[in-house]
Amino acid sequence: MSVADLLASKSLLVCVGPGGVGKTTVAAALGLQAARMGRRTLVLTIDPARRLAAMLGLDGLDDTVRPVPMTLIDPTGAGSCAPLSAAMLDTGASYDALIHRVTTDPEHRQRILDNRLYRIMSHSFGAAHAYIAMERLYDVLHTGEYDLVVLDTPPTRNALDILDAPGRLAGFLEEGVIKWFVRSPAEGLRGRLFARGGAAATKLLAMIAGDELVHELSEFFSVFISLREGFQQRAQHVQQVLRADSSAFVLVSSAMGPNLADAQFLHEGLVGRGIQVRAAVFNRAYTVLGADPRQVVTTASPRAAAHAAQLAALGEDRPETRRLLAELDGLRAEVAADNLLGQRAVASFTAQLDRSCLKVQVPKFERELRDLQALARLGDQLCAATPAA
Amino acid sequence: MTRSSNSSAPALDRLLERRLLLFTGKGGVGKSTVVAALAVEAARRGQRPLIVELGHRASMQSIFGVSQIGHEPTAVTADGKVWAANLDLDEAIVDYVVEQVKVRRVARSITSNRTLQGLFQAAPAVREIVMLNKLRLFEREESRGRPIWGPILVDLDATGHALMLLDMPQILGNLFSGGPLRRLIDVLTGLFTDPSRTLLNLVTLPAEIPVQETLELHERLARSRGIQLGALFVNQVPPPPLGPELRPLLPELAALAAREGLTQLADDLELATQALAEDARVRELITTLHREVHMPLALLPRLDPQGPDALQTLGRAALKELAASPPSAPEQWIAAQEGA
Repeated sequence: MSVADLLASKSLLVCVGPGGVGKTTVAAALGLQAARMGRRTLVLTIDPARRLAAMLGLDGLDDTVRPVPMTLIDPTGAGSCAPLSAAMLDTGASYDALIHRVTTDPEHRQRILDNRLYRIMSHSFGAAHAYIAMERLYDVLHTGEYDLVVLDTPPTRNALDILDAPGRLAGFLEEGVIKWFVRSPAEGLRGRLFARGGAAATKLLAMIAGDELVHELSEFFSVFISLREGFQQRAQHVQQVLRADSSAFVLVSSAMGPNLADAQFLHEGLVGRGIQVRAAVFNRAYTVLGADPRQVVTTASPRAAAHAAQLAALGEDRPETRRLLAELDGLRAEVAADNLLGQRAVASFTAQLDRSCLKVQVPKFERELRDLQALARLGDQLCAATPAA
Repeated sequence: MTRSSNSSAPALDRLLERRLLLFTGKGGVGKSTVVAALAVEAARRGQRPLIVELGHRASMQSIFGVSQIGHEPTAVTADGKVWAANLDLDEAIVDYVVEQVKVRRVARSITSNRTLQGLFQAAPAVREIVMLNKLRLFEREESRGRPIWGPILVDLDATGHALMLLDMPQILGNLFSGGPLRRLIDVLTGLFTDPSRTLLNLVTLPAEIPVQETLELHERLARSRGIQLGALFVNQVPPPPLGPELRPLLPELAALAAREGLTQLADDLELATQALAEDARVRELITTLHREVHMPLALLPRLDPQGPDALQTLGRAALKELAASPPSAPEQWIAAQEGA
């Protein structure tokens, strides 16, 4: 199994990992690589990343799926590239679109869109953000337009929300809770508020949170009750898809200790939720020292004397040259020590991963990736990368 | 070139005397390390710092090498001077409910009700409000008429979620005209928007993406009038790789090495050239921050290995930077870069 095999065989890749390790970039590179392999691919990002748009040659990224112009990669269009598309989740917009999709009665729809709790929830909340990501995923998986969807997720601390949010929302809309507030949609507000069994609980809630909240909640539930089943079905379906054989989780990290600690936390969280990580990518894991890319950790033994002798033989023996040569030794030793530290951290991390989990590392590039061609180079690197120790 | 003056920015050498110091920044910038270092420095100055994490991963456990940090403060250093808490949603809900019903046992029976739990877990804003409420409770805790905790250093989640959290009182304020939640929201708003008590600090790295995000965040924060901005910590600023007098030699020797086929030397020179290019990018990014962000900047050194000594060094360096960062500093920095 290689990264290329994953790209060829899966229909959903979920990229998870700590912030600041280039996760979004790796997700985009994987998506581009798949498109170059002839698979119709969508990259769905959750982080607002303007830079990703620029890298893909797009003016911006928003909720609308946009085709990525591939002329840089495939100038004539004669190559085997399949279409690549990208979109960024805009939570507010997605919620409204969702409500438009799942409601049929315009009056009912308007009541939901006008509900104050709904408006707050759809525009501001973490768990809601994660929930809508799952709805959106359900949506794109069902268009049939893509062979592969690459999902980029928020940084570690909030990534597990993606998995938990649908269940929590289902709990929120659970019958028991709703019953307090809504006995039957036909009853009036007073009937709902004081429904049998719910009276005590709603009173308690009113005491700790105020009448107004109870009122808003009952209004919220009364407009959402008819949508409950749909929400729960989709949430369940997405949970199944995430755990299916056709999906793979890709854990992206750097080789730095704090990032790897985050990655480990995330890995444990995933395993605890019944999800196997299929590939671990260590991005910008080492600095290439010399022409051979695998020359990761050179001997720190000084070369200055040897170089000085070589140069002296060529008539170059100024004192500042000697000083420079000494500094070069120091610099190389520092980079080598960094590399070694990174390699050790990666090795102790990978020791805890499943044997079948693919482990790859990519070196630091000289400069930040700026366009589709650079992204394609990263894609090539990922597919040909040095397996991690 | 003219730019809006920085003179309104307060000198922040007395940063640690604020009651509530909030920290945010992109994931992976070392925010937790900076928070820990400042807490260590506050303790050295005889204060009683409390670090608060908001219930996600407990970074402070690995930073201080302690096994368990829970919802209520625990001492995390051997001398017992630095304390930390990692808020738990359920406990924070209990804390809130206790205040409303006065009896902790009744509060627990409310919060252990499974149906209500489902509601609390998923209902919008419950998490945000009870967490902010717990910060307020810490801020208020007293012993013999004096606050117990100070400063309280809050390690907020990565940028986007931190903004959501801080926007919450304002968003919810529109929802309630009275009742216990309205009163709480008013108190929270009062606390978080009082510049003598609360400051929001940013942490970033001298790298392209974190700096870009910091600029965007600063723009958003400067536009909204809520919370007072404190300091911007630029973490892991590397020292310049080569003395300036040696730099002109690089291209010369590189040409020589290429001509004579000295491949090892060529590799080393290439490494130095790249390190210099990287250093130039770092300096340029810091200049951009000085120009665009109207907050005192503290440039922090790159320190390894991690450990108590490293934290102490970092904490001292941070405060020294802030003390030496009067409003005129940005001009000096920019002039120094342009002169170089």
